Amino acid sequence: MSNTATKQNHISSYPKFIGRSLWLATEGSFGFYAWMTMLTAIFLVGANAWANQVAGGMVGTNMTDQVSWGLYIANFTFMVGLAAGGVMMVIPAYLYHDRKMHDVVIIGELLAVAAIVMCLMFVVADLGRPDRFWHLIPGIGKFNFPISMLTWDVIVLNGYLVLNLHICGYLLYMRFLGHRPNPVWYVPFVMISIVWAISIHTVTAFLYCGLGGRPFWNTALLAPRFLASAFVSGPAFIIVSMIMIKRLTGVTGLEQPIATLTKIIRVTILINLLMVASELFTEFYTGGSHASAAKYLFFGLHGKTALVPWTWTAIGLNVTAALLFLWSGILSERWRPLLIAACAMAFVGTWIEKGMGLIIPGFIPSTLHEIVEYVPSQLEWKVTVGIWAFGLMVFTIAIKTALPTLKQPSH
Amino acid sequence: METSKPSLPIVENFSRRAAVKGGFATLGAAAFVAAVSPLRQAAKNTTAAEFMQQHYTELSPEQKTDVIARLEAEAKEKHGVDVKISDDRPIPGTKFVYAINLSVCNGNGKCVEACHKENNHDRATNQSYIRVIEMPKGTMDMEQGSTTYTGAVPKDDKFYLPVQCQQCDEPPCVDVCPVKATWKEEDGIVVVDYNWCIGCRYCEAACPYHARRFNWKAPEIPAEEINPNQGYLSNRVRPVGVVEKCTYCLHRTRKGKLPACLEACPTGARVFGNILDKDSNIRWILENKRVYILKEELGTKPAFFYYFD
Amino acid sequence: MPRITSLIFVSLIASMVIAALVTPLDQNSDVIAADDESAPANALLAESATQAPARPKSPTYTVTIRRPDGPPRIELAGSDPQGRSGTVACSTCHSVRPPAFQNRNATTLDEFHQGMQFNHGTIACYSCHNPDDADSLRLADGTRVDYSDVMTLCSQCHGPQATSFAHGAHGGINGFWDLSRGPQVKNNCVDCHDPHAPAFPKMIVDFKPKDRFNMPHTDSDDH
Repeated sequence: MSNTATKQNHISSYPKFIGRSLWLATEGSFGFYAWMTMLTAIFLVGANAWANQVAGGMVGTNMTDQVSWGLYIANFTFMVGLAAGGVMMVIPAYLYHDRKMHDVVIIGELLAVAAIVMCLMFVVADLGRPDRFWHLIPGIGKFNFPISMLTWDVIVLNGYLVLNLHICGYLLYMRFLGHRPNPVWYVPFVMISIVWAISIHTVTAFLYCGLGGRPFWNTALLAPRFLASAFVSGPAFIIVSMIMIKRLTGVTGLEQPIATLTKIIRVTILINLLMVASELFTEFYTGGSHASAAKYLFFGLHGKTALVPWTWTAIGLNVTAALLFLWSGILSERWRPLLIAACAMAFVGTWIEKGMGLIIPGFIPSTLHEIVEYVPSQLEWKVTVGIWAFGLMVFTIAIKTALPTLKQPSH
Repeated sequence: METSKPSLPIVENFSRRAAVKGGFATLGAAAFVAAVSPLRQAAKNTTAAEFMQQHYTELSPEQKTDVIARLEAEAKEKHGVDVKISDDRPIPGTKFVYAINLSVCNGNGKCVEACHKENNHDRATNQSYIRVIEMPKGTMDMEQGSTTYTGAVPKDDKFYLPVQCQQCDEPPCVDVCPVKATWKEEDGIVVVDYNWCIGCRYCEAACPYHARRFNWKAPEIPAEEINPNQGYLSNRVRPVGVVEKCTYCLHRTRKGKLPACLEACPTGARVFGNILDKDSNIRWILENKRVYILKEELGTKPAFFYYFD
Repeated sequence: MPRITSLIFVSLIASMVIAALVTPLDQNSDVIAADDESAPANALLAESATQAPARPKSPTYTVTIRRPDGPPRIELAGSDPQGRSGTVACSTCHSVRPPAFQNRNATTLDEFHQGMQFNHGTIACYSCHNPDDADSLRLADGTRVDYSDVMTLCSQCHGPQATSFAHGAHGGINGFWDLSRGPQVKNNCVDCHDPHAPAFPKMIVDFKPKDRFNMPHTDSDDH
C-alpha cells in the first residue's frame, strides 16, 4: 500500500519507532520501577549463578548421568507450552473473527516472544559448553538436520520467535506511523503462526517421545498432551495478565477476551486431565517394568519417593482448577480473585506436570533400572528464577510498548 | 546491585529523565558485568585455537597434527605429564564385536576398575564406562537387578550382567546429536569429538544402555596415574562439560590389542574380535553359542552379545 | 569328542613348536602378556617373531598358552647341617611306595599331603596322577602326560570347556586380538582352577563407581 512511497522514510522512522518504544517502555509509576528493579535483581542473581556454573562445571547442579536433564529442561518444556498457548487468543481473533479478542491479541503474541526468549535461555543454561553454541548454527557449525529432533526444535522455536516479532513489530510500527496495518503484511504470517504454534510443541514432544529407551516418554499421546496442557497454561497466564493490565493501566475491552479464554480453559483442562488419565490407565493396568517410572512418580519405588509430593500436588491443583473452571460463576466480576486463584492453580499444576512430573520420571528408573533421585540444587533454582525474572521483564516491557495500541481499539 | 531506589518525581523533563534512565541502564549493565564475572575464569581455560577448532572430520592432516600438539602441550601444562595422543583410524576390513559369557562372569568388577584406569577417568568419582548389574537367576528384567551390590561374589542365587556401550548399528545417540559431535566409524565404534560436543546431553537421554557419561566437572587425576598412551577419540583426558563413552579402547584395539576390560577380566568371560574375520573367536561364539542382545525390541542392533554356556 | 581332543592336541603341539622357535631355551617361563609394548618380555617376543627366518612372509604372531613349570617339587621339611634347604621330586618317595589306587582324599593318609582339600568330583588321586611315573600325569587310556601338558589331561573330561578354550570363549586372554600385529597369551587351565578344587574362587568387589546420590552403602565424597 504505502511501502513504495514511504520507503526512504522507514530508514529514519524505524529507529525513531524503536527509540520511542524503548522510552515508553521505561516510563512508569513507582510501582513499575520497583517491579523492574526487583526483576533485575533476581535476574542478576541468576546470571551470577549461571556464570558460576559455566566456570565450575555443571557439578553445581544436582543432575547426574542417570538423571541427565533436570529443572532447566523441565522449564524449557513448560515455556514452549506457554509460547504455544498464546495461539488460543490468535485462533478466536483471526479464525473466528472475534473483534474483541482481535483488539488485544497482541498480548498473546508478546507472551509468545517472552516465552521463546526464556526457552532459548533455558536451553543455553542446560548446555555443558555454551561457548560452543555456534556449532548449532546452520552453515557455520554442523547442523544434524533433519535427523536430530533438537535441530527441528531450534528451527521451529527461532522461527516462531521471528514470526511473532514480525507480527507484533509490524502492527506496533504501523500504529506508530499512524497508518492502518496492511493485512497483506501480517495476516498470512498470523495464519502461519497458528500452525507454527502447534508445531513448536509437537516438535518439543517429539524430542522425548521418539526415544525408545525411555518408556515413560515413548508414547504417542505425548504431543497431544503437551498441546492440551499448553492450552491450559497459556490462557491461564494471559487471563491473569489481562486482569493486571486492566487494573494497572485502565485498558478496557478485556472482559470479553477473559471470558473467552476462561471458556477455552474449561475445555482444555478437562482434555488434559483425560489424557493424563488415559496414560495412567495404560501404565498401571498393563503393569510390568515399563510402568516403573509411573509407579515411582505416583507411589515411589523401592522406598524412593522424591517426586510423589510433587505429582500429587499437581493432580490436586489441576483437578481443583478444573472444577472451579466448570462453575459458571467464576466469570462474574465478584469472583475475580477466585478466577485468578484457579488460573494460578492450573498454571502451577501444569508446570509441575510437565516439568518435575514428566521430564524427571523419564530418567527414573534409569535405563539400567538404577533409581537415582533428583532434587534441583540451589544453583539450579537461582538460574531458573533468574530466567523467569528476565522473561517477565521482557513481557512487561513488551506490554508497555503495546499499551497505546491496547488503549485505542482499532474501531 | 541496584537496590536503593529514589522516588521519581513525575516531571515531563525529557533530558533529566533521560539522564536518570541512562544512569540506571549503566548501573544495570555494570551489575550484569559483575554478576557474570566468573565467566572470565572459564574463558581463561579455553584458548582461541580451541574455540575456533573445526569438527574432527573436517580437520586436514596438518590441522590434526597441530591440534594434537596443542592437546599434548595442554596435558603437560595442566597435568604435568608427557602424553602421547594418537589418532587411530579404523583398520580396513574390521568390525569390532564384543561378547560376554554370563555363565562365567562373577561380577568382581575388575573390568570396571581397568576401564577407570585405562581411560583416564576422574579419580574421585571412580567413573567407568562399565556398569555391572547383579541379577536374580530366573529373570532378564533389569528392574530386579542392582548395581550397588558389594561383598563376596558370585552370590549363589545371582548372575552378573556387565553393561557398557553396545556400539549399536542403529545408535539412537548418534541420531539425536544436534551437532554431529558423535558418529559411528567404519569399524563400528561410536565415537565422540570432545572438542565439538556442546554438552546438551540429548544422547545420554537417548541411549537405552546408560553407556554415556557427562563431565560434570573437569576430571582430576594425579599425574602419576594418568595413562600417557592416549587416543584423540578415546581416552585422552576429557574437557569439562562434554559427553564421553566407551570406545572399545580404540587406542588399543585399532593397534591390534585387546581392550583393557578384557585383559583385566580374571574369569575370561570377555571375548573381543573382528566379526568380519571368519576364523575369529567372536565368529565362533556367534555361530556356536546361543547369544542374545540387550533390549532387542528397541531395534538398536548392538555389536555386543551375551551368552550362557 | 575325539575330534575335539585332537584339535586341542594339535593346537598344543603347534603352539609348542612355535614357542620353541620364537622363545629362548627356557620355554616353560611364565610369559605374562604385557599390555605395554615397552615390556621386555613382549618386546623380545615381538622382535624374535618378526625376525624368525622360518616365516619371512607372514607377519603372523603366535598364540602362547601359558604352561606350568613342570612337575611340582616338594619342599624338604628341614635343612641339612649347612643350613641348606631343598626340594625333591615326587618320585623321590612315590617310586618306593605302592600306589593306593582307591584313595580319594587326605583323611585316609597317615603321612604326607595331610590337610589338603579336594573338591573335584569323586575322582581318585590316580585318576590323574601317574602311578608308574610320579613326576608325570596319566590319561584315562594310560598315556603318560607331562605336567606342563596338563591341559590335555583336563580336556579328556572337560571337553566343552576345551572347545570353548580353543576358540577364545573360555579362559583369560592377553595381548593382541590381531595376530598380524602382535602375539597373544592365553591362560592355562591351572592358572585359574586349582586341580584339586577347581571351582573358581569367590572374589570381593573392591571397586564401584561412586555416583552421586546412588550410594546406599557408603557416603558421597564428590561434590
